[in-house]
Amino acid sequence: MTFLTIPSSAVLLEIIQGSLVWIAFIISGGGIIAQSFRLLKMTRKQAMPQLSSNAQYASQTAATAKNVWRHRLSVLKISILETNPAMATVSFIFHVCLFMAPMFLLAHNILLDLAFEVSFVSFSEKMSDSMTVVIIACGFFFFLRRIFVRRVRIITTVYDYMFLFIAVSPFLTGFLAYHHIFNYHLMIVLHILSGELMLVMLPFSKFFHMIFFFISRFMIISEHSMGSPKRLWQY
Amino acid sequence: MKHKIKLEIDTAPIKSILNQNKKQIKLGLSMCAHCALCAESCFLYISNDRDPEYMPAYKFINTIGRLYKKKGKVSKEALEKMGELVFDKCVLCTRCYCPFGIDIPSLITLGRRICRSQGVFREYDK
Ligand code: SF4
Ligand code: SF4
Repeated sequence: MTFLTIPSSAVLLEIIQGSLVWIAFIISGGGIIAQSFRLLKMTRKQAMPQLSSNAQYASQTAATAKNVWRHRLSVLKISILETNPAMATVSFIFHVCLFMAPMFLLAHNILLDLAFEVSFVSFSEKMSDSMTVVIIACGFFFFLRRIFVRRVRIITTVYDYMFLFIAVSPFLTGFLAYHHIFNYHLMIVLHILSGELMLVMLPFSKFFHMIFFFISRFMIISEHSMGSPKRLWQY
Repeated sequence: MKHKIKLEIDTAPIKSILNQNKKQIKLGLSMCAHCALCAESCFLYISNDRDPEYMPAYKFINTIGRLYKKKGKVSKEALEKMGELVFDKCVLCTRCYCPFGIDIPSLITLGRRICRSQGVFREYDK
């Protein structure tokens, strides 16, 4: 007598499309909050800063708002916007699309509506499709950069290719499914699985650099911090 | 060649420095996206024909990063090569800029401390 039965592919699909999605969202959301707190626990509040950031220094000393803004812009001038504007632009577009495309995709919003009867506004299908192409193109650019640019290649590991592949694959498979290239059902399953994988990995891998960026540049006082940070690292 | 005091690798002080600064090293290594965007911020990188060994990320990954991953178990030769990176290829001017805010100079400083603990120093008469 057997108690274990292998679930049919329909049941598996049901799990992948249903509970696994919510589990991935919960792990991802909970993970991001927990990891952010863990990071903040490595810092302390600096009541009387001995070391002021450029932005703080500007706001303390500048007489006019104009000076504050001039100073803030000078912080940008020593950033990658100045040293590597091409990469700054591609990275910015890539990361913005990475978040906006899935969030404002009509198909995702329909699913959200079916589940909770709420949804975000949706971009037109053409717009979402174009954003997906942009993400894939940026991903390809990063891939080529890792292979052909010496200074990038010298610090690249096999994991960097893996992370790039994981980041782009939900978009690649989504694109292939939407345009019915290859087997539609297979592409949808791969799309959902890769999306879930990326969500789960976000807080616990190098992907967390996206959150780390905001904590480290906006909340922690340093030469390059922006805004009005009030904390210091205390590792 | 670095100035040598005949001394074999003693992993105890290395491990102690690694343990004391574990959180910082781990954070720096895990958040570094290997994007090489810090390269241009280092004047030594620019003035040495853009030799990637002068890139800030290369210097901390291949010194303190490697020491951390190998738990301090490296050969004397490897440590001397690290000494070259942290003493000769970086002057600790603290001008490196990482868009993610990784404090590269302080990681390189840790690399220097470990080198010093093993008798590998800056050689001034090179
Ligand atoms: S240290 Fe910063 S800029 Fe340099 S490779 Fe790492 S993440 Fe990129
Ligand atoms: S501290 Fe070292 S790595 Fe950073 S910019 Fe100065 S010389 Fe280059």
